[in-house]
Amino acid sequence: MFARLILISWRNVMKNRRRTIITGVAIGVGLAAMMFSDALFAGMSTLMIESTTDTWMGDAQIHREGFRETARISLTIQQPLKIDSMLAADTLAVASTGRLISPASLQSAMEMKPVTLMGVNNRTESQISMLETATSTGSYLSGDSMEIIIGYKLAEDMDLVMGDIAVITAAMADSGFSSRMFRISGICKFGSDQYDRYTAFVNIQSAGSLLGLTGELHEIAIRFQNPMIAMDPDLPFQTVFSVHGNKAEVWPVLAPQITSMIKMTSVSLGIQAAILFGLVLFGIVNSLFMSVYERMYEFGVMKAVGTSKRAITSMVLLEAFWLGVAGSLIGALIGFGVNHYFAGVGISFGEVDFSGVMFDKPIYTTVDWSRLWIYPVATLIFTTLAGIYPGIHAGNLNPSEAIRKSL
Amino acid sequence: MNTNSANTDCANVNTNNVIVTRGLKKTYHDNGIPVEAVRGIDFTLTKGEFTAIIGPSGSGKTTFLNLMAGLDSPTDGEVELSGKLISSMSGKELSNYRRDHIGFIFQAYNLFPVLTVEENIEYIMLLQGIHKKERHERVMKILQQVEMEDYAHRLPSKLSGGQQQRVAVARAMVSRPKLIIADEPTANLDSRTSGDLLDMMKKLNEETCMTFLFSTHDEIVMKRARKVVTIRDGLLYNTDKSREE
Repeated sequence: MFARLILISWRNVMKNRRRTIITGVAIGVGLAAMMFSDALFAGMSTLMIESTTDTWMGDAQIHREGFRETARISLTIQQPLKIDSMLAADTLAVASTGRLISPASLQSAMEMKPVTLMGVNNRTESQISMLETATSTGSYLSGDSMEIIIGYKLAEDMDLVMGDIAVITAAMADSGFSSRMFRISGICKFGSDQYDRYTAFVNIQSAGSLLGLTGELHEIAIRFQNPMIAMDPDLPFQTVFSVHGNKAEVWPVLAPQITSMIKMTSVSLGIQAAILFGLVLFGIVNSLFMSVYERMYEFGVMKAVGTSKRAITSMVLLEAFWLGVAGSLIGALIGFGVNHYFAGVGISFGEVDFSGVMFDKPIYTTVDWSRLWIYPVATLIFTTLAGIYPGIHAGNLNPSEAIRKSL
Repeated sequence: MNTNSANTDCANVNTNNVIVTRGLKKTYHDNGIPVEAVRGIDFTLTKGEFTAIIGPSGSGKTTFLNLMAGLDSPTDGEVELSGKLISSMSGKELSNYRRDHIGFIFQAYNLFPVLTVEENIEYIMLLQGIHKKERHERVMKILQQVEMEDYAHRLPSKLSGGQQQRVAVARAMVSRPKLIIADEPTANLDSRTSGDLLDMMKKLNEETCMTFLFSTHDEIVMKRARKVVTIRDGLLYNTDKSREE
């Protein structure tokens, strides 16, 4: 009997092709919108994470405990060589670089500005941050002790150009102040004020001698095989490298605002999904009720000849299922098509500076089959469930009334 | 067509009561106003009868048939089919009762539009759980009897009104019910088609001794019925015995 119900429901759905197509397209468009939103969200998350970790931070960092909270330059990493060898042996970490960080002032012939002095290793820094690619004028650090790279806004503010002399003054680790003269060797553009207006980059040896911290490090930035690894709450990295008074932290901890934003977007997506599925649900219920009311006589006859409530309810559920199949197929085709298109060309939202991170690249939709299959399947289930109410209504029809009302 | 001899044989073989109603009443409420559609009917139908219930529109014909068919429950009184009270059955029991004991022929469009002639006819047997092979054999046999064997794979929409009613007759009879109830079966047919259909039904009645009960205001039906009863204002009276053969 069930096989016959499948056949009847299929033919019923195909009998009114126009309505089936319209309903299927309505379901499909809703589904495609969900798949697109999901893929866009995934692409946006990837962009946010990559922009955050690629700009400067890296996927993880190691500091001396208390350094991030106080920025005291005396709090350098304990046993940096040992940490370095541990990182070399770690399978997750593919690159790392050491930095010295200190508040300082940059003085030109005309004026003085507060900056954050960054002493970087010119060879390893390019594996972690954008400094090399962001150096748009002049050249990247070669290791020369006189070299300094400043942001283009800082250069404009202080009227500094390539080759100009500038003096950095900073507090030394063991008290006192130290000054050192540099020559502008490069001007960089990160797209964020934090780096373009308030930071100066020098070679780590120069920073070490200026601060009295030669051979010391304030920060080790690390690149993982994949930034997503850091989202694993059970990642042993933080425990393994938080030794000797040092503290290892991954980017979700270092940039909690990004994690919060991803969570917030995820919640918004959930709400959007609920609204869309709700609309689809009511659309299906409406369509099925129209179909039930049109076929009152037929249902009356079916009941009169002894068809059970359950069989009639099942038949309407099966009709809903077929609509779901049509809608899911249409939606999946549109969804995958649109997602693949935008995965190639991307969607540009212009330049957005968020918490010192520049989001200036297009967002490319991420077509992740392992996640996206959920939407057509969920649509199919929701659509079928939408048949419950009209199905029960049809199953409960009084045969004599159904026949009488239809005549 | 030798109707007399066939009918005589059928009448002689079995005189069991197929359906009996006692004090059957049905009151509807139309916008809160009670309407007594059936007002206490005592009626007996014996096996092999070919009976027509006549009466003007609104006289209670359809309500009376619905009560006997178990499509409606009576306000008072009882309906007994082959010794079993159906007026006290639950919904599921009634559904099974209709499936197994009553064949229906409605005014029009009572075939399932998405099923072919063959599928329509075998539908009730499918509900009864009859094996595929037997279903097929019975369908083919009844299609021959109603002279529709060439239309087995057609959809109802490809048939004329008369052909559709022939298929409806076949569907009503194929499960071998005790009683076939036909509510104005010729209402949408022209007179010639109506006559042909009635002749065919009468022939099947004589061949199978299946009991037929019609509601109608069609003269063609009345002429062919062996017994005609009149219903007016919810009461059954004026039984015309003169047509009994």
